[in-house]
Amino acid sequence: MKSFRIRAVAFVASAALLALTACSAGSGTSPGSTTGASQSLAIGLVAEPASLDFTTTDGAAIPQALLGNVYETLVKLDESGKIVPSLAKSWTTSPDRKTYTFDLVDNAKFTNDKPFTAADAVFSINRVKTAWTTQLKAAMDVVQNVKALSATQLQVTLSRPSNDWLFRMTTRIGAMFSETGVSALATAPIGTGPFKFSKWNRGDSIVLQRNDGYWGSKPYFNEITLKYFKDPTALNNALLTGTINVIGTVQAPEALSQFTSNDKYQVIEGTTNGEVLLSFNNSEPIFKDIRTRQGIRQAIDHKALLDTCFAGRGKLIGSMVPPTDPWYEDLTSIDPYDLAKAKSLLQASGAAGKTLRLRLPTLPYAISCGQVVKSQLEQAGLKVQIDQLEFPAAWLTTVLKNADYDMSIIAHVEPRDLGTVFGSTKYYTKYDDPTLRQLLAAADTGNEAAQIDNMKKAARRLSEQAAADWLFLLPNLIVADKNLTGLPQNAITENFDLSRLARS
Amino acid sequence: MRRLNPSLIAGGVIVGLIVVMALVSFVWTPYDATLVNPAVRLAKPSWEHWFGTDKFGRDVLSQIMVGSRTTLFVGVVAVGVAAVIGVPLGILAAMSRRWAHELIMRTNDLLLAFPALLLAIMFGAVFGASTLTAMIAIGIASVPSFARVIRSGALQVMRTEYVLAARAAGRQPFPIAVRHVLPNVTSLITVQASVSFAIAVLAEAALSFLGYGTPPPTPSWGRMLQESQEFLFSAPRLAIFPGVAIAIAVLGFNLLGDGLRDRFDPKLEDRR
Repeated sequence: MKSFRIRAVAFVASAALLALTACSAGSGTSPGSTTGASQSLAIGLVAEPASLDFTTTDGAAIPQALLGNVYETLVKLDESGKIVPSLAKSWTTSPDRKTYTFDLVDNAKFTNDKPFTAADAVFSINRVKTAWTTQLKAAMDVVQNVKALSATQLQVTLSRPSNDWLFRMTTRIGAMFSETGVSALATAPIGTGPFKFSKWNRGDSIVLQRNDGYWGSKPYFNEITLKYFKDPTALNNALLTGTINVIGTVQAPEALSQFTSNDKYQVIEGTTNGEVLLSFNNSEPIFKDIRTRQGIRQAIDHKALLDTCFAGRGKLIGSMVPPTDPWYEDLTSIDPYDLAKAKSLLQASGAAGKTLRLRLPTLPYAISCGQVVKSQLEQAGLKVQIDQLEFPAAWLTTVLKNADYDMSIIAHVEPRDLGTVFGSTKYYTKYDDPTLRQLLAAADTGNEAAQIDNMKKAARRLSEQAAADWLFLLPNLIVADKNLTGLPQNAITENFDLSRLARS
Repeated sequence: MRRLNPSLIAGGVIVGLIVVMALVSFVWTPYDATLVNPAVRLAKPSWEHWFGTDKFGRDVLSQIMVGSRTTLFVGVVAVGVAAVIGVPLGILAAMSRRWAHELIMRTNDLLLAFPALLLAIMFGAVFGASTLTAMIAIGIASVPSFARVIRSGALQVMRTEYVLAARAAGRQPFPIAVRHVLPNVTSLITVQASVSFAIAVLAEAALSFLGYGTPPPTPSWGRMLQESQEFLFSAPRLAIFPGVAIAIAVLGFNLLGDGLRDRFDPKLEDRR
């Protein structure tokens, strides 16, 4: 009997231990923590890049870390979305809007000590066409000719006027490389930026060091560590324990109250370009019927979904345009939640009772939203099988590259990406719509008013054709040490600008 | 008259209740365990939802009930894999010549030294996280303990007079193993299975907690714990219910294992 009593005590102890498991999990601290040193900073992020080479590898994590920090572009976006000078001091456009002449800065140099000249810009622009392998390279197809007029003057001639091209030059497509610095892009990036790449501890962190030879204003921090976390609670715990100083993208918004109620931290809430898409594989026969696509959209209660999987933070948009773009319209009234209508649409299209594979990347928001989507679609008569694919490697290969999926959930954070995601049948959405492509072409070649008008029509067409379902727009949720300044209110570019960060 | 064996009774009752709960969940649960209902998300325990609801508005009691299926299923398959491989290995080692015996047991020791969870995480990384990979990995990791226990039992049986007689009569090793050794180590297999079951339950919970076990939305106690992390401050009950369920299940199988050992071990005869 005595041994039974001992076991009962052991049971109580083990129960307490198990309850505490959740408290302790994921709160491990790194011995190499940089917190406390005034000139160094650690930022917690999710989704570590699979490679450091965005010329051959997709994924937003690479430009997030490197663009604007290690690599620079000729022009860049300011926080209001306006195109402003960067490596180009100024530029002029010919009356036919086909020729751009850039005046470049004369004091920039790469971290391999080579000076940045117009020849590097020619090399970088041409290299997009010849060496890049990602779908984004298509943005440079419009370039007919590029030449260096002098060491600091560059001329780019387009085959037709393009509103989109100069904007794309603010993204990774416009990154400037050194001709002698592209041999190891996947592991040793070389750019002209305010930081230089120091080291990459795979599975853990990327370390950037201040580029003391930088041509512009030098950053405040001499070392910034980007630490990657798979678990949102571990990310939160890392800030609470001082392992990191900033949560770059909050993934557990339900737990935000622990920071808002604490004077040690500041919480920044703004908007992003991150459209969380329930993508359809439009090449699959089941999605050829618009009634299936509309039925799925109408089966999803977006407000409830946002409340459930992202604590109500974020915005419902209804198409592929965030409110910070000039052609934004609230299109949430198209295909509103209507379960009865969704059931009849799915019944009519013959999709009811069919099983669809919802292949999710192992990202917290995707896993959460996937469970809500499955439950709501099953109420409308579909069967949904959830597969989790390791992000980035497995998801990029299976879904993005091979399009081996029926539906997926991912945030598309590239700016102005409507054309990229739906304008080409080669992209993983496999959306084939000549009318949409005509609208996109008209928007690209027309004047500013025509661009806005046609992009509005394109966004509406996309939504009316139910090319995908736009679950919501990710919020820009950042939590940081109270005395940190320079954090972006809105995340409307694809990079995390580290050069403006400082301590007050 | 034999004294009551409290461990056996308590363990049997707990395990029995879990089995009943799992069986009942096939025909009835208070709510659909995977049905998302945002209108009642994070509801506190009430008459409608005895254990409350999670962030998706799913009924926690229903999830605990359906989660017990995952727990039992993983335990049965993992123990099955371990027994099917471990028992023949143990008997083979006991009946083999010295060099073969050493080879089997030293290989066994190598596997024993390899952390079970690490093996399961490796399986999850290579073959993808799923209940099946978790079960197989846990099963393989449990093989050495089965082989070691069965070997020692089989060695004792091999020294008995009836085995010596069978060998003297020219019976081949395989019939001896099947007809004489295996029936006499059944009690050891039962005890070891019960103990390994508890280990498997805990391992599945840990793997699901780490994201290498049962994928969502299939209810699993370990993943319920994982999903509760966000709410430790606002709704700690979401961690407590699955945590206690895991603890009770592990305790139940351990008590059952201890009780069975007390029941079958002749060395403990005088303590009864």
